Amino acid sequence: MNKELIELRVNGRTHEVAVEPSALLLDVLRQELGLTGSKRGCDDSSCGACTVLVDGVAMMSCALLAASCEGQEITTIEGVSEHGSLAAIQKAYGDWGGAQCGYCTPGFIMTVKSLLAENPDPSEAEVRDALSSNLCRCTGYNQMYEAIRSAVDAERKGIAFAK
Amino acid sequence: MSLPQFRLLRPRTLGEALDFLGKYSGHESAHTLPAQTSRGPDGRGRPSPHEHSRGRLSPQVPIQVIAGGTDLIPSMRQKLFEPEYVLDLRGIDEMRGIRPAADGGVAIGALTTLRAIETSAFLQQHYPVLTEAAATVASPVLRNMGTIGGNICLDTRCLWYNQSLTWRKGCGFCIKKDGDLCHVAPGGTKCWATFSGDTPPALLCLNAEIEIAGPSGARRIALHEFYTGLGDNYRKLQPNELVTRVFLPAALADYRGVYRKLRVRGSIDYPLAGVAVVVKRSNEHIDDARVGITAVNPAPVLVKGVREMVAGKALDETLAEAVGDLAAKTAKPLTTSALTPEYRREMIRVFTKRAVLAANN
Amino acid sequence: MTRVNGNFSIIGKPTAMVDAAEKTTGAGKYTDDFSVPGMLVGKILHSPYPHARIKRIDTSRAEKLEGVVAVAIGEDAPNPYGILPVGHDEHALALDKVRYVGDNVACVVAVSEAIAEKALELIDVEYEVLPAYFDPEESMKAETDLIHENKPHNLEKDYHHAFGDPEKGFAEADHIAEARFVSNEVTHAAMEPHSTLASFELDPHTGELGRLTVWSSTQVPYYLQHKLSLVLEMPMQQIRVIKPLVGGGFGGKSEVIPLEIIAAIAARTAKAPVKITYTREEVFWAHRGRPRTIIDLKTGVTNDGRITAVKARVVQDGGAYCSYGVVTILYSGALLGALYDIPNIQYDGYRVLTNKPACGAMRGHGTVNVRFAFESQLDELAAKIGIDSAELRQRNLLQPPCITVNGLRVQSYGLPECIEKTVERSGWKQRKGKLPKGRGLGIACSHYVSGAANSIIRSDMPHSTVNIKIDRDGGVVVYTGASEIGQGSDTMTAQIAAETLGCSLSRVRVIAADTDLTPIDIGSYSSRVTFMAGNATLRAADEVKKRIAAAAGKKMGCAAEDLIFRNDRVFSKNSTGSLSADALADKSVRPTQAEASVSGRVEGQILRGSLQQKRKEEGPKESMTFEEAVVAAIDFHGALTGTGSYAPPQDARGGKHKGAGVGPSPAYSYSAQVAEVSVDEDTGEVTVHKVWAAHDCGRALNPVSVEGQIIGSVWMGMGQALTEEMVWKDGMLMNPGLLEYRSPSSVESPAVEPIIVESVDPEGPFGAKECSEGSLAATIPAIANAIYDAVGVRLHECPFTPERVLAALRAKKNAKALNLTEGVDPTAPVSFREHGGALWFKGKGPERHAMDPARREAPAAGGAD
Repeated sequence: MNKELIELRVNGRTHEVAVEPSALLLDVLRQELGLTGSKRGCDDSSCGACTVLVDGVAMMSCALLAASCEGQEITTIEGVSEHGSLAAIQKAYGDWGGAQCGYCTPGFIMTVKSLLAENPDPSEAEVRDALSSNLCRCTGYNQMYEAIRSAVDAERKGIAFAK
Repeated sequence: MSLPQFRLLRPRTLGEALDFLGKYSGHESAHTLPAQTSRGPDGRGRPSPHEHSRGRLSPQVPIQVIAGGTDLIPSMRQKLFEPEYVLDLRGIDEMRGIRPAADGGVAIGALTTLRAIETSAFLQQHYPVLTEAAATVASPVLRNMGTIGGNICLDTRCLWYNQSLTWRKGCGFCIKKDGDLCHVAPGGTKCWATFSGDTPPALLCLNAEIEIAGPSGARRIALHEFYTGLGDNYRKLQPNELVTRVFLPAALADYRGVYRKLRVRGSIDYPLAGVAVVVKRSNEHIDDARVGITAVNPAPVLVKGVREMVAGKALDETLAEAVGDLAAKTAKPLTTSALTPEYRREMIRVFTKRAVLAANN
Repeated sequence: MTRVNGNFSIIGKPTAMVDAAEKTTGAGKYTDDFSVPGMLVGKILHSPYPHARIKRIDTSRAEKLEGVVAVAIGEDAPNPYGILPVGHDEHALALDKVRYVGDNVACVVAVSEAIAEKALELIDVEYEVLPAYFDPEESMKAETDLIHENKPHNLEKDYHHAFGDPEKGFAEADHIAEARFVSNEVTHAAMEPHSTLASFELDPHTGELGRLTVWSSTQVPYYLQHKLSLVLEMPMQQIRVIKPLVGGGFGGKSEVIPLEIIAAIAARTAKAPVKITYTREEVFWAHRGRPRTIIDLKTGVTNDGRITAVKARVVQDGGAYCSYGVVTILYSGALLGALYDIPNIQYDGYRVLTNKPACGAMRGHGTVNVRFAFESQLDELAAKIGIDSAELRQRNLLQPPCITVNGLRVQSYGLPECIEKTVERSGWKQRKGKLPKGRGLGIACSHYVSGAANSIIRSDMPHSTVNIKIDRDGGVVVYTGASEIGQGSDTMTAQIAAETLGCSLSRVRVIAADTDLTPIDIGSYSSRVTFMAGNATLRAADEVKKRIAAAAGKKMGCAAEDLIFRNDRVFSKNSTGSLSADALADKSVRPTQAEASVSGRVEGQILRGSLQQKRKEEGPKESMTFEEAVVAAIDFHGALTGTGSYAPPQDARGGKHKGAGVGPSPAYSYSAQVAEVSVDEDTGEVTVHKVWAAHDCGRALNPVSVEGQIIGSVWMGMGQALTEEMVWKDGMLMNPGLLEYRSPSSVESPAVEPIIVESVDPEGPFGAKECSEGSLAATIPAIANAIYDAVGVRLHECPFTPERVLAALRAKKNAKALNLTEGVDPTAPVSFREHGGALWFKGKGPERHAMDPARREAPAAGGAD
């Protein structure tokens, strides 16, 4: 099948890539753009390890055709670090044991990013509900809640400090 | 598992989408079935015992429509669909949106995400059974992608069908795809794959209608007419047609509604049984009540006789239980999914009773 | 030299993992994230039949497909292998027979995944279908069509042990409980599907394929190197195995998985680098998970609650290959001991072959299912004799140090404190029996080894070796073969090195799990890393420290033994004032940047190391920075390296009976848990609200990690207790994906309160023991016992899916007869069903299609029919 040239905007940069029409966004990110932070964990779009933001909305890149995302703003885990340093949520995941093997972590962080963008101070029930899009096999999720809580607090303090 | 190779059609308008469908969905098209497709005596593809490489496929529609992609893409990986064209609706903005009608009803574009439905204040207020049902579909991220149209059109599911090509080869294929027998109800020629959408039972309770657009314009049908009750050809939709809108009538607005879903895991799962209930009360007695069930038949089903049973009566445990029994009788679960059929039928009974009581409160 | 006892600067402090940022930014590389120039894709053709002879394979049509580079088949590497020396029964690609649906037949190497998948459809294989065996108890009766010709009755291995006098023990009992328990099959389901990239170099001297480099998602690079050497007939030193980040193992990557060998064979056949990454379905076929297990258990107790004897007959449905099976069946018996004081134990274990993917090691290897049975039965007995179930456990404690009746040496023993703390935190005494209807509390205990005292390849070689190199920059590089798989191995290594050397964690760089760079370590399994690799690290660091101290002592004019290394400083314990040990040990007085570094600008020149130091030198010093001391040591010794290794002591290696090698460990971890659940009596749905989990890990080197491991274990146990189950139908796995194999999501996962108990083991590094597996086994019976407390039904088959719970409730109430579980009573299971104990399918199932793998033309005598 002939490849077609598409323009993908990923993490604020525009890439021209030649893709097969059947190429998944996940595969293009990983194989064409070298952004291997998004992971493949299943084949039935159940695990969420490939979660990215599309126009700010969390979506699974294994269930999106790359060509279909032309014209949309894609954010991957590689686009989360801020100005060369860890974002609060990334630091907190490390400090609180939110990541063990780390394979599901990029997906979780994207899910949390989209949660916090919508709801900057979520209750524990809201956090639990949001995280239920992603599967983790190491942590039992508990330490992620602590990480998210501490990131929320850190952000809030950061904002207070800036004022 | 890679996707089959196809050409991607990306219309920007509904008109363009319908043009593509007209052009590429016809059987007379030069791009239709591969030449090697042969058909068994019953018109289905039949694998031969000695031919393991797949050359004998069920007749395929050469074009598949993709909206959210959350079901179609995994299915294409499993080679359940190997279309020549995929019509990608994601770029058609006009098919999105929740638009209250002047008469008090509402029209919902087929591409409206389940997330948008779940969080719509208007729907939460007037059609709570729909927002409840939408909120249980899969997981939050999948609801960001999945659409109401996709949930209505959702392919039926079965443990013997939703498997990889290699796996299905191991069991000799099945009636729904590439084979000629049913592993679930042996001896029969009917496919029992289960309809597993969460929102359609709620929509059935709400007397929803859908708009289907095709080459000769748009038509509007009651949702219950959309499903055939068969596991394989489960819906009445021509390859050159699209479901474009869902209408909820004003008459059913403000019915109390409850959706209960049986799942083993609190998220991600398809329903193993689902019950939608709407109730209208006046003073102490029930005016009207409707019960829709899902995931226990090849189609979502509206339970018959509920209104007759409860109208004019005050609801109590016994009456709720009777409604539950009625729903359980309607359910015909088979071993198409996890948990035993008996248990799933029993849960239709329990959930219906509970949902009726909850909706009445 | 002095170590400040119990007062550590790094040990015991919550520490973010050294690779945390790699994981949270997506920068870290797992095997599938690698690519090398010219890399091709490998795809494996799997058997559609559970048991068949391969009569012919024709790959010519596949080879002709444009884009296909090579097709490898069994004959390309015919040597058998297996993880155990007694179990070399696998071929990377089938030679003559396939033994389960998913067995490996051929491998296509192509330029893309899509082309490789297409080519798989073009490989013509002619099979002669054989009768297949799916039920272990039926399989044991087989006379013909054996799965492996050299295993009569499809029996992989059986063991029969009697310790003490079981008959006498039961005679002394006032109460005896006897029942059958069934535990269905579960799998690791690590988030990362297995992946291997194999690449050959061209040898400059011969011009032919030379050294092989393999990147693989493995827990044991050394075993992979060993088996590759065996199969490829290459010397081990020509094979380099590199373990990148691994996305979870839980035992599923603790042995050599077919794709790891196949990738190398494929690369050799294709003469190009080949990467194979499993699909999720292939991961399920590769499996090596926890076998379905039937446990016939009998326990005797006296009226005052002393256990007098235990008798267990265990049958494991091992799948088609040996894998770790012999070890699994031995663990199931051996770890009946070392938790409680049980004077008499009888054990009969059968590891049976069936035509399904091979079972192997999974978190809590061998102990989990038997522990479920034992702790459930203990609860029944407690109720029978009217003793509180926590109290009953307290009455059967060991009195360490001791050697158990089956030869296990127990030294540190935190179980009493674990029970005490969970009882206290959960409000057991106040709340047990007083919760509202449908809600209950249950208690259970468990334990696990801190590594096996005997390695699977019997030898006197150390189990772990660690090298340390320190250069003039003051950077500490630790080389270890231990495999980070998410459990925190690298962080533990860095912590122990830094604590021992008294330097900051950021100075330490861990180079791990690369067979060219790192010394042999037998890998990350059986919870051995902290104890064994940790001890090796400690010894290596101590050796280096001694060398530094010798030089520093000279410079400082004091005895090397009097020096304290702490907070990037070296100082004498005899100093006073601002240079006193106490003052210098205070973290706030770390060396300044200028002080700490021996490099810097002096008189307009950037000078490094000793040159600069010479210029700074003014007579004997009262204290030195770590870097100054390092430079002094290098100047003094010429080079600064150290090495340490660990082998378990002789007296920890167990008894002399057949099979005594499995079970002994230098130290055991202990766990006690209380689960609080509620049961919906109309639906049978069980909700776990909270689990209090106390775990004796010896010493918590990194409390964040220890708590993470405890929570993760409890959570995984909960999955096995409630939702996880591999469902079989005629050898077909009905749920080979994460959608249908249901590991819990966040919404139904309970709060777990981890409680760390530190018994400080005399031989563990800083007293540490295992913390990653032992907690899992207690969770299942704790939940079972809580269900009993809540609604009065005793479930003998797990997982406790809602249909099983409801069926048990209905049976108890004698309510409306409704056969919810197809006649299998979850309170008294009789046997496995043909399809493996799962309840989704009626009887024998439908009439089979002509090409259905399970269809048997003529049923074999005594076969699975």
